[in-house]
Amino acid sequence: MSNIVIVCVEDEPDVLDAVIREVEPLEDLFVVEAAENSAEARQLLETIRSRGDEIGVIFCDHIMPGETGVDFLISLQQEEHWRSTRKVLLTGQAGLDATVKAVNQAELAHYIAKPWEANEVLEVARRELAFYLKARDINPLPYLRHLEVSLIEDLMRKHLSADR
Amino acid sequence: MNGPVKKILGLILGVGALCILPFCHLEGLSPAGHITLGIFVFAAIFWITEPIPIYVTSLSVIFFQVLLLSDQSLFLGTLTRLSDGEYVAPKYQNFYATLAHPILILFLGGFSLAKAAEKFALDRNLTRILLKPFGSSPTRVALGVMLVTGILSAFMSNTATTAMMMTVALPIVAKVPAGDPFRRLVALSIPVGANIGGIATPIGTPPNAVAIAALTKQGTPVPFSTWMMIATPLVVLALVISWVGMCKMFPPKLERFELTIEGQFKKSPRAFALYIIFALTVGLWVTEKIHHIPSAVIAFLPMVLLPAFGILDKQDIRSHAWEVLWLVAGGISLGISLKSTGLAEWMIGQVSWDVFSPFMLILLFALVGFAVGNLISHTVSATILVPIAIAMLAPDIEAGPAAMIIPIAVIGIIVSFAMILPISTPPNAIALSTGLIETKDLAKAGWLVGAVGIILTLLFGLFVWPILL
Repeated sequence: MSNIVIVCVEDEPDVLDAVIREVEPLEDLFVVEAAENSAEARQLLETIRSRGDEIGVIFCDHIMPGETGVDFLISLQQEEHWRSTRKVLLTGQAGLDATVKAVNQAELAHYIAKPWEANEVLEVARRELAFYLKARDINPLPYLRHLEVSLIEDLMRKHLSADR
Repeated sequence: MNGPVKKILGLILGVGALCILPFCHLEGLSPAGHITLGIFVFAAIFWITEPIPIYVTSLSVIFFQVLLLSDQSLFLGTLTRLSDGEYVAPKYQNFYATLAHPILILFLGGFSLAKAAEKFALDRNLTRILLKPFGSSPTRVALGVMLVTGILSAFMSNTATTAMMMTVALPIVAKVPAGDPFRRLVALSIPVGANIGGIATPIGTPPNAVAIAALTKQGTPVPFSTWMMIATPLVVLALVISWVGMCKMFPPKLERFELTIEGQFKKSPRAFALYIIFALTVGLWVTEKIHHIPSAVIAFLPMVLLPAFGILDKQDIRSHAWEVLWLVAGGISLGISLKSTGLAEWMIGQVSWDVFSPFMLILLFALVGFAVGNLISHTVSATILVPIAIAMLAPDIEAGPAAMIIPIAVIGIIVSFAMILPISTPPNAIALSTGLIETKDLAKAGWLVGAVGIILTLLFGLFVWPILL
């Protein structure tokens, strides 16, 4: 079975740490990886792809050295391989135009404004992972403890093994 | 032994048994009996070690019977010659017909009702209503969860019931502080209720079908209501005693707990049609003793009416657990050859079991059934053990239907109490995956349920069923 990865892209080390700390409780079932800019993230994506793993959700800052977060997410959306990955923008500085662009062209799943509330990233991660499993039609049972069951009831039913 | 090694070993031993046993010369066993023995041993090894899915093993059993033992046998001439014309090969249709055995039609009726109930949230709404009287004392809420899960799983599959109850209860229970054993109590009440509840009716869980099909073949059919009469009181008692024990193991810390579920009965014309069809079918099933229409005949009522009213569509029909029916069918089909080739009779003659009293034998089967049921599929455990039990207890058949029904029902029922390990039953696996309980919690509850189940079933078999039957 391939691993499902949570990717965090953020140039400020403190913020990156905070994001990673929030999703830490998910680490027993999901893999958490980090990158400091989009170039580094691209390399990371290649490694993940070559391992045969998939990315469930990606949290991405907007203003970073080099390519912006929104442009990076749009380029992901254009690749078949990362299309169902849930894309979350985590920023305080993305203007309306950039955000609209992200919604329209990267099918942005969620927008988290900095500074975020305690546990907001974790909650969003949980929910987006549930949507990811649904989109990819993955048996949710192994991940049940981290998912909100009301979101995946149908999926659960579909993958239910019968009495034996 | 780890997975791949077990599978490869099983593959070699199973295929070996199938290839070698037909060519052995066992004293007093017919040539066709040798072939049946080969298929039986092959199936048992494959069902236990699972080199292929268990339902595929069942299908291959039917296939081998058709290819080797039916009137279409590849070796029909040889078989007839070797047995001096004594072996009458059954028509190949007889083996295929097991796929539509009346008990499996009964299950299909149950599947249809369950699917429709799920689709129209009848299961959820019944849960909501039935849980209300249990109030807000935590231990009583746990009893409610356990009993309601039990009631639903008597008519729906144990797995589907567990999944539904989990989705209803989890979000609410997750709000209880993590250190409170109440979380574990409720999370365990669901698989315990589902596994035990399945015993209550013939359609509750597949091992019941194995027992009933075997009894029907022995000439002692068990009507729906008769099964309920012997099984339901046992189930209720087992649930209540398990609840008492589990409340001691996981005493809740909080004082009050409200388990309120949002929802409303659907009121569309189709929903009402479903309620009527549901009530009618179940009503006719439990009154089989009065009107004498076999439950498998009644089972066609929901199968016809639910799609006729557009309550179920072809997608729903495709989503039935057909493989479960095939799994059971393989065992039923094997039963045909056990009898027609004289293998069953030969098995009886092999060992002198007179040294054991019938009670000791039943006790032995109960313990073996429980042990095996924890490790492999409940249905398979019953499928392998029931024919052996019939062979060993055969002399008692003369003693009337009760003497036949009791040992077989004991085996069919006790395997359902086997739930110590995560792999023992799918409801266990679901409960564990919620993260609310650990394997050791499951083991604790499993041992309790197992002890309660074995003792109660034996007591019922000894003292209660002889009066009822």
